[in-house]
Amino acid sequence: MSDSDHQASRTRVPMPIATLNDPHMGDAAKNPGRIEVLVALIFVVAIIALAGFGAAYWQNWSPWIIGGTMGAGLFLLGFGLTAWGKYLMPQGPFVEERHVLASSADERDSLAAALVERSAVVVKRRRVLGGLFALGSGIFGIVALFPLLRSLGPVPGNSFEVTDWRKGSLLVDSNGRPVHKDTMVPGGILTVYPKGQEANPSGQATDQTVLIRVQRTDFTTRPGRESWAPEGYVAYSKVCTHLGCPVGLYEQQLELLVCPCHQSMFNVRNGAQPQFGPAPRPLPQLPLAINSGGYLVAQGGYDQAVGPGFWERTTR
Amino acid sequence: MSAAPARTKRNAKAAQGPFGRVGNVVNELDDRLGVAKGGRVFLDKIFPDHWSFMLGEISLYSFVVIMVTGVFLSLYFVPSTNAVIYHGSYAPLRGQTMSEAYESTVRISLNVRGGLLVRQMHHWAADIFTGSIVVHMARIFFTGAFRKPRELNWTIGIIMLILAIFEGFIGYSLPDDLISGTGLRIGYSIAESIPVVGSYLTTFLWGGTFPGDIIIPRFYIIHVLIIPLILAGLIATHLGLLVRQKHTQFKGEGRTENNVVGSPMFPTFMAKTTGFLFMVAAASALLGAFAQINPIWQFGSYDPSKISYAVQPDWYMGWLDGALRIMPSWEFAGFGHTIPLEVFLPAVVFPGLIFNICFLWPALERRMTGDVALHNLLDRPRDRPKRTAAGASLFALLFTLFAASSTDVLANYFHVSLNVVLWFFRFATVIVPIIVAFVTYQLCVEMQGVHGIGKRKRALIVHRSSAGEYSTVTSDLRPDDERTELHPEPVPVRIDIEPLRAGSSAASESSPTGVRQVNR
Amino acid sequence: MTGVSSHTRRHGGLRFVLPGSLLAAAALGTLTLFFPGAGADGQTVSARVSHTSVPPKACGTVNLKGVSATPDSGNPFTSKNLTCRDGQIVSYGDSAITYTNPPSAYVAAGRQLFAQTCSSCHGNEANGVAPDGRASIGPNMQGVGAATVFFWVSTGRMPAADIKAVEAERRPTRLTTKDALELAAYVNSLDPAVPAVPTPNLSGADLSVGSDLFSLDCAACHTITGAGDALAFNTNAPSIQNRTVTAQQVAAAMRIGPANMPRFSGNLSDAQVRDVVAYVTEQIQHPANPGGAGLGGVGPVAEGFVALLIGVGGLALICFWIGERS
Repeated sequence: MSDSDHQASRTRVPMPIATLNDPHMGDAAKNPGRIEVLVALIFVVAIIALAGFGAAYWQNWSPWIIGGTMGAGLFLLGFGLTAWGKYLMPQGPFVEERHVLASSADERDSLAAALVERSAVVVKRRRVLGGLFALGSGIFGIVALFPLLRSLGPVPGNSFEVTDWRKGSLLVDSNGRPVHKDTMVPGGILTVYPKGQEANPSGQATDQTVLIRVQRTDFTTRPGRESWAPEGYVAYSKVCTHLGCPVGLYEQQLELLVCPCHQSMFNVRNGAQPQFGPAPRPLPQLPLAINSGGYLVAQGGYDQAVGPGFWERTTR
Repeated sequence: MSAAPARTKRNAKAAQGPFGRVGNVVNELDDRLGVAKGGRVFLDKIFPDHWSFMLGEISLYSFVVIMVTGVFLSLYFVPSTNAVIYHGSYAPLRGQTMSEAYESTVRISLNVRGGLLVRQMHHWAADIFTGSIVVHMARIFFTGAFRKPRELNWTIGIIMLILAIFEGFIGYSLPDDLISGTGLRIGYSIAESIPVVGSYLTTFLWGGTFPGDIIIPRFYIIHVLIIPLILAGLIATHLGLLVRQKHTQFKGEGRTENNVVGSPMFPTFMAKTTGFLFMVAAASALLGAFAQINPIWQFGSYDPSKISYAVQPDWYMGWLDGALRIMPSWEFAGFGHTIPLEVFLPAVVFPGLIFNICFLWPALERRMTGDVALHNLLDRPRDRPKRTAAGASLFALLFTLFAASSTDVLANYFHVSLNVVLWFFRFATVIVPIIVAFVTYQLCVEMQGVHGIGKRKRALIVHRSSAGEYSTVTSDLRPDDERTELHPEPVPVRIDIEPLRAGSSAASESSPTGVRQVNR
Repeated sequence: MTGVSSHTRRHGGLRFVLPGSLLAAAALGTLTLFFPGAGADGQTVSARVSHTSVPPKACGTVNLKGVSATPDSGNPFTSKNLTCRDGQIVSYGDSAITYTNPPSAYVAAGRQLFAQTCSSCHGNEANGVAPDGRASIGPNMQGVGAATVFFWVSTGRMPAADIKAVEAERRPTRLTTKDALELAAYVNSLDPAVPAVPTPNLSGADLSVGSDLFSLDCAACHTITGAGDALAFNTNAPSIQNRTVTAQQVAAAMRIGPANMPRFSGNLSDAQVRDVVAYVTEQIQHPANPGGAGLGGVGPVAEGFVALLIGVGGLALICFWIGERS
């Protein structure tokens, strides 16, 4: 049926009339006066609430009063309007016929025919031409995308691999103070950076290191690292090897560094080997030394990339 | 030649048609736009009345709230990572160096009149937005509304869900506070973990290594322009398809594949839906007024070496956080390269898999059931036990992962070891969905066998006669139930409702449509 | 009397030589604190730790394991306000924190209280040795210092409710603060140590420094809102939002590092510790929460529940009212 047919049938429906006992009217409409008064009352309270909202905003009362009055006012407005719609307006059930979505077979055929036949003109190699056009557009798309992507930022290079720690880098805390070997007692932890990087966010992100004093005498975390932990001070990269969160949670009796994000646990005694949780690799250890003034310095940089894994990472 | 009649009030009134000013407006509009024909059809559009069909409206209206509150916020927020020193009203931050983004957000929260309220409304509405999308999507799935001809709408819906999740994550990362900054660091590492292109993707997007100083401005424009534009277009398409294809409906009295039964667009549905818009806005306002969310001034500005415990992301990312926590620490390293599977699998491959299953589901179901017919009538979930079981199982998996993201909170609350809780979730993630699938399947099959299930039972009223004899009478249908068992009528031309005044005669011919003729 | 006076005259100067040179050494040693020394990288630093200062005899022998030697770090011998009496440290510290040992009069009462309450787990002499010679359940308490005993007892963690628990939990204590000080006095008398019981002076605290340090050093375990959370293997960081946590207890915890909490000695100065304590007792324990109900300060987990259950759930209920049900 077309639209005009529909409309004709609509206008031809006789004007229906009903009694109040008609089940379509619903309970509420049988006594609409009461509902009307109720809805009116709801609107009045809403107006009062919204006036309150205006006053609250004008007088700069606390957010909960501003929000509470606004919320109450809006809610009552909505509630009243919905109640009006639900109880006082015709509910039906009314029916509407669906148009058949699909067009007729003839219409479909004519569309398909136009598409196929109109393009099958004299040229025999339209596939080749079409293909070349598509190739050209595609190449344009890809080539045009490159400047957009490439200019967004630099190539990674070795930026993921290197930190600012060098041989002789002085360990400083977040206020830039160097760390003397008498600073901490066993069980202490301090976040340190190479001197100069403590206020630089990029430096903080890659260079951040936890310094822990485990005991008062030298100890070895792993074979080959005998000199790395002088007087019981041991330093590990603070960047978790799982997803890069700072591993700031130290449990001194368990001698465990725990990453707060996903609870990877690293054993401080044996080179921050992961004991639990999703971290795949130990935290890289920074080799420490104590300089002539008694201050802690690095013997060199980290022996591997810090932080999470990525495709180009080669060191184990 | 007669003079044109003077323009008096009476003449003007007489010149109006039988429908008064409204008729005039209609005429003027129709002269210019030709809207009368379509408008009349539009007013008669029928909307089925089932309550679950309104869940999508929660999403739509919370989106409206988000847009309006978002405009307010965008007038005050400064999307810049330039370092400034705080000299504002919150003492614990005074003198600290922070980004302008963070400083402007603190200012909005603590110094702009109504700012904190609007900020909280924006955030609550965003949580409600994503939540209602999921609930709405569940309704579509379990009733089979995604079948032909609505596969495209389903696809658009999934795209909108993905965009909403990203939009939320980007939105709460804009203030550059400690907790959301941690989330950005995690996002950076997840992007980094993608084989071959990961490190390039991260340096391109972040303009260098973490944290860089371009990510906040970039996220800002993505958050206020790019994604909202795409979302607005998709919402318009989504609703347009809904209008074109008409809404689905449950089976029932008078309902067929070829009609829609319900209440008319004007005035009933418009009143209800506008009222609902106000109520959704009110929900957002009341939550924003009474429940604090994301108090960034307590967290401090983001510093890459600082971290808080209990840093779960917002709920719609919780399933990913849970997946990351329970994943064993498998990392592939060889041939000169590393693939961090403990990141790549749960955070990239797994969500990709889930969303692809969602995208492909209509096609999968078509293939598995062989049903390629057009469907305008909905299934009861119990009538399709396999689909319902599969969907329930997927939800159970996602919910278990969501619970797994709060291992530390659960361990603290129940005084259980954190490690034990984590192992529990490693097993639960596999076992719970399997159990849910079986139980749901059984439930559906058994519910199908119960007669009259789902219908409200009619009470039996027990009468006792004076002789002591008991008899029962079935009570009347309740009005709502009554209404669904009425035979639907086409929408009439005129709908007037006038209550009977005492004493007036009722030209009462019982009519099924509940309207009364008004005699002028 | 001439013999006496000649004796006096002959040895008069010598009597002053020894204490005089000690004083000079002490003065020189103190002066070295202010001379820039060869620090790191050839650059000057404002203070150098003195290793040559000798504890005044009036303070007796003090076990210094618990503190670092840097100034302002709770070390009594770098403090300008050190007072000792009868071979005991009475108090020390600076304008930010005053460390006080309980009065020696408490020792006797403390001994009796210890015998009643603590010796069953810690041994009769608080040395971790049970009467039968084997190791007792509780560790050796000798040399832990007054602050440690004060912290564990005044927070109710000791006497332990469950000796099998991995970490003792805070609980309402049967013992009063005075009892805690008496026990501290007694235990300290067995092997005098530091730190003593700290009393932070919160006026003049810098909340900004406090919040900065809190987010760097404390939030990783206690969360940024101080709500506390579960840590590895059944350990936990307690909530410090709890208003029964006093300033003294916070300062003591920071300086002693109880259980698994790290020890902040020289890595934080007294002023910094005081600032953190002020931040905890003011902002953490009394958050302004202008946005409404704090939802426990647990963050997005609680917020998600509220949004889904109350927000979406409430609105779904409204849908239920508006629409039909069959």
